[in-house]
Amino acid sequence: MKFLRLIRAVLREIFEEATYERFCVREGLGAGRESYAKFLEENVSSARSKLRCC
Amino acid sequence: MRSNVRFLLWTVVALVGALALATIALHRGEQINTLWLVAAAVCTYALGYRFYSGFIAAKVLALDPQRATPAERLENGRDFLPTNKWVVFGHHFAAIAGPGPLVGPVLAAQFGYLPGTLWILVGAVFGGCVQDFVILLFSVRRDGKSLTEIAKEEVGRVGGVVAYASVISILVILLAVCALIVVNALKQSPWGTFTIAMTIPIALLMGVYLRRLRPGRVLETSAIGFVLVLAAIWGGQCVSQGPAVAKHFTMTAPAVAIAIIVYGFAASALPVWLLLAPRDYLSTFVKLGTIGLLALGIVVMHPTLHMPALTKFVDGTGPVFAGKVFPFAFITIACGAISGFHSLISSGTTPKLIRRETEIRLVGYGAMVAESMVAIMATVAACVLEPGTYFAINSPAGIAGQLPEKAASTISAWGFPVTASGMQALAQNVGEQTLFNRTGGAPAFAVGMAHIFSGSLGGQAVMALWYHFALMFEALFILTVLDAGTRVGRFMVQDALGHAWKPLGRTSWYPSVLATSGLIVGAWGYFLWQGVRDPLGGINSLWPLFGIANQLLAAVALCVATTIIIKMHRTKYMLVTLAPLAWLVIVTFTASWHKIFDPDPRIGFLAQARRLAAAGGSGRLIFNNWLDAIVTGALIVMVGLILVESLRQWFGILSGRKEAQTKESPFVMTRLAEEQV
Repeated sequence: MKFLRLIRAVLREIFEEATYERFCVREGLGAGRESYAKFLEENVSSARSKLRCC
Repeated sequence: MRSNVRFLLWTVVALVGALALATIALHRGEQINTLWLVAAAVCTYALGYRFYSGFIAAKVLALDPQRATPAERLENGRDFLPTNKWVVFGHHFAAIAGPGPLVGPVLAAQFGYLPGTLWILVGAVFGGCVQDFVILLFSVRRDGKSLTEIAKEEVGRVGGVVAYASVISILVILLAVCALIVVNALKQSPWGTFTIAMTIPIALLMGVYLRRLRPGRVLETSAIGFVLVLAAIWGGQCVSQGPAVAKHFTMTAPAVAIAIIVYGFAASALPVWLLLAPRDYLSTFVKLGTIGLLALGIVVMHPTLHMPALTKFVDGTGPVFAGKVFPFAFITIACGAISGFHSLISSGTTPKLIRRETEIRLVGYGAMVAESMVAIMATVAACVLEPGTYFAINSPAGIAGQLPEKAASTISAWGFPVTASGMQALAQNVGEQTLFNRTGGAPAFAVGMAHIFSGSLGGQAVMALWYHFALMFEALFILTVLDAGTRVGRFMVQDALGHAWKPLGRTSWYPSVLATSGLIVGAWGYFLWQGVRDPLGGINSLWPLFGIANQLLAAVALCVATTIIIKMHRTKYMLVTLAPLAWLVIVTFTASWHKIFDPDPRIGFLAQARRLAAAGGSGRLIFNNWLDAIVTGALIVMVGLILVESLRQWFGILSGRKEAQTKESPFVMTRLAEEQV
């Protein structure tokens, strides 16, 4: 069970669901279109660090 | 008692590893099972991780569990965030694992399975894993700074400039070679072209779905995207069987290249949420699943390797790319053994997530071990093919012959029997018109993977689906690298141009976005076009260039790491980074020398230019060879510059003329609870 929870946590981090959740908490926003649009805007500015290796 | 059991266990691992390595190294003339390769790899990695990385962690780097990491000290809930070590491991692995460890080993299989396998194992344990590990720690101890910033601070201004120039060079060449692999995989392939083309609207749909319908539900959206991609693979079969529709997706290599160049430009200029981000999610989803599936397939099916341990092409006359096993095997396989590109990830997002210094060993060394295992799987996929089939797929028409019968007789004359009718039957089985002259590594990997899976899961009847699934998987990887890399390159150029004229540095100013996107796409597009037009298949010139650039970046990273180790007064352990650095310098210099000056026109760019000039060849082709020679020369000058600068630092410190002062952030005691430490 613990292993499955860990896998879920890894996937949520890789797929940025956890990042979005933290963003909502930090900004005091609920999940929804507006908060996600703001989250995406913030993510765009950090997109430069999202290198994908060969 | 417990320590006795541990001792016994590791002794068994060492013995099994030694037996497996001896089996794969000493068997001649008999085919061996893939499980020997898997056993050799697993035991080597286990020993390397347990003992060598343990030694580096304790003695060389002295990882300190009491020292607060930047994730803790600078926590902002955004970039800096203390994160569970397994989560960071997954995150880091997803970022470093790309198409490189799949393609390089497939190309290097022309030497036989042995050189590539040994280099992957030794290179990873003593080179690649060490590089990723030390750079990650040094970035963590410098508030998560990037490699270029660390190089500037620790090696000097020249180090910073060389690191920056290396990153740009490697990006341009990497993107060109990646695009060329896709071109070679999709040319004259309506099924593949349709499937890959469909991933673009699927990604757009995912982007809109995520933003409008189910905000933040990335896993759910990726799963839907994956189902749609599977539907696209099935749809591709229907397309390929209907001549009226198929003709629209049957494209020549130049046409596919133009489509990819246009795509690269659009992906760089469009909003991230619309195309780049959803494609990245989709690619990661497929990547993690398929790598797991392939590992399972190899262990369960454990097919026999048909490729010999060594082929006659170790003498440098290979058709896939020209050049002897030394140094060319070592630049052909970069990712999977040692890849300079990883140092950018290790000094990018990952150091900002590390919760404890002691966890860096698992993330830095461990994730590279996992990637190296992927490279072993790619070697297996290439070497389970009959050698004749492998060479028929990977030999360019300029060498094997344009017509199937001619190519089959040429390859058979090399000692690897293959028939035109057999290749035609295989092409029909995988839903292609032909499999001759499909250079670049991706089609051979796809055929190998389909061969492994079709052994049980559905048999020959679904081989075409497996082949196109593998092709889609690789192309999806590659296009993700292409669009993310183009965008990152654009940001870097904007950063640099912003110093000359501020508006050019604004990432939201559209004239600058379009101009810099055009610049980056134009640069890799030029090399791509050159590769497509190259009568020797393009891969022969571009892949070695990419390997040299990638290993150059690794040399830069290892120069920086050795400098820091000396500054940390750990000089007696400097061989840990100095030995792989010395090896890379020898390999890179030798390979560059051959690529520029070798009298064989298939190897040396200048010899090829002279041959073309003597034969009255096209001025453009002659110019391209000169350009490749100049680029290779520039890369080697950069290695030389950073080496000289590093040596100056090392001798200055060791002779006492310079103060050994590192630019580490000051020590701060962790405030995390004892149990978390």
